[in-house]
Amino acid sequence: MKLLTHNLLSSHVRGVGPRGFPLRLEATEVRINPVEFNPQFVARMIPKVEWAALLEAADTLHLIEVPKEPIQGYEHDEDFLRKMHHILLEVDVLEGTLQCPESGRLFPISRGIPNMLLSDEETES
Amino acid sequence: MDHEAAQLEKQHVHDVYESTAPYFSDLQSKAWPRVRQFLQEQKPGSLIADIGCGTGKYLKVNSQVHTLGCDYCEPLVEIARERGCEVMVCDNLNLPFRDQGFDAIISIGVIHHFSTKQRRIRAIKEMARVLVPGGQLMIYVWAMEQKNRHFEKQDVLIPWNRALCSRFFSESSHSGRKRRCGHPERSHPYHPPCSECSCAVCFKEHCDSKRSHSVDYEPVTARTCFTNIPKESEGEYGFYNTLGKSFRSWFFFRSLDEPTLRKQIERVRPLRNTDVWADHTITIQPSRHSSLDFELQQPFSKKEQNSDEEVFVETSSRKHLEWLRAPGTVKRLNGDHLGEIGKNGGGNFLDSTNTNDNGVDASNLEGESPSASSRILRRISAVDSTDSNPDDTISVEEQQADILDSRAFMRYYHVFREGELYSLLKENVSELHILSSGNDHGNWCIIAEKKENCD
Repeated sequence: MKLLTHNLLSSHVRGVGPRGFPLRLEATEVRINPVEFNPQFVARMIPKVEWAALLEAADTLHLIEVPKEPIQGYEHDEDFLRKMHHILLEVDVLEGTLQCPESGRLFPISRGIPNMLLSDEETES
Repeated sequence: MDHEAAQLEKQHVHDVYESTAPYFSDLQSKAWPRVRQFLQEQKPGSLIADIGCGTGKYLKVNSQVHTLGCDYCEPLVEIARERGCEVMVCDNLNLPFRDQGFDAIISIGVIHHFSTKQRRIRAIKEMARVLVPGGQLMIYVWAMEQKNRHFEKQDVLIPWNRALCSRFFSESSHSGRKRRCGHPERSHPYHPPCSECSCAVCFKEHCDSKRSHSVDYEPVTARTCFTNIPKESEGEYGFYNTLGKSFRSWFFFRSLDEPTLRKQIERVRPLRNTDVWADHTITIQPSRHSSLDFELQQPFSKKEQNSDEEVFVETSSRKHLEWLRAPGTVKRLNGDHLGEIGKNGGGNFLDSTNTNDNGVDASNLEGESPSASSRILRRISAVDSTDSNPDDTISVEEQQADILDSRAFMRYYHVFREGELYSLLKENVSELHILSSGNDHGNWCIIAEKKENCD
């Protein structure tokens, strides 16, 4: 699971609503997955990122050199873009959990795949 | 009602995909060209979700966008992951995403697996929720109206037995298809639903007790169905002849939409209490003659028979309505479906595509003789599946043939009538504005856009 994906995930446990974002990440196995760098692509992703959530996740994973926010003129700043490329797309959580900040419900990540299914009792009907 | 719906989907969608997933990895079916085009048209840097991605055939179509694949079925998602895709397991009805995260979403061959109208609406609304304003959603669902097949009802169970079919499929089906529609490459599959068991009954519980039951699978019936098929399809039918007593067939299912189901449950509650679905909600339409609507030429599908071109038509909503109301179209549809429409309490075919639909099956039920409704017969027909699901293109080792039982793997579909998907969105999902709709290789498709300022 990439951090870009994590940035989109939110808990849908009944009643939680927007307080379900972001999910608290715990990782027991992480790998770095090289991905071809495409600066225009990364630049376009930047406005879509929820920065606080990204910082929190990056922190949990002990990533270094994480920009605290998009810098002025980031679209042309290759150094910035490369860092963001690495954090968003190359860091891959293989095993771990995602926790709903409101309900505490844990969702597993196994073999790189988050499983967000709720049981029948947990879903709103 | 939602609980029963969930149970049905568990048994006849989720469990089937899970059990059959191991066979999907061999061959990847091709992506629908129009879907590929939609993906390729998205701006570079877009965030896209494929809800119901299966083994991920659309996830790598456009390298300039980031596509996240989601599916309920873990084994399928694992296959996609092995191909290097970013995927997750989740439920279309409860998408685990923050609002307005995605620039575009595709839902290809998914919504037709939801067994009630409410669930179908909910699935679409969930996708709309996670779309950015101005973002686009593309939906493909299986059409009730097919070239060489006639679904008499909308809620069907399609058996799946690749054991028998796959061998033949890989040998003969391609040539058959080549001849008919000139698509040598496109591996759209047959549904391999042929049953080795000539007794036909749909569920195990019934099959054991009713093995000698009078089931109308007799060859005469089958031949009747075949006689009207245009000659160029000869190749296909060679295939079926080879299978001998195995017929392509499917089973009709009672609509789960609330008013209908309640009536059915009330009628049969005193009866057996095992699997709800097996008991009473499955009926198989006795085979009827010349119900093949190959004469049915909708403006768009006519084109598709002869050429490789896409038939997805861009049209404004106003134009679309005109298309639906075109006198020729309506007349023919009414003519061909006369048997059903009559039973359904008359009325314009197009009218039956909205909420009245739910009441339709109920009156159908009433209209049938008690013996017909409780007897289980097999419907024989020529099936030409244009299912966009991945399983159809898989070939399998013959040893595994014995393991698979056609009765066990039946997938539920609610096939959509012309105009139904359009109305569903128009009337129930006001946050979406419909950009275009049409028919693409036996699927009803729609592209809609999330309106600005609506959350």
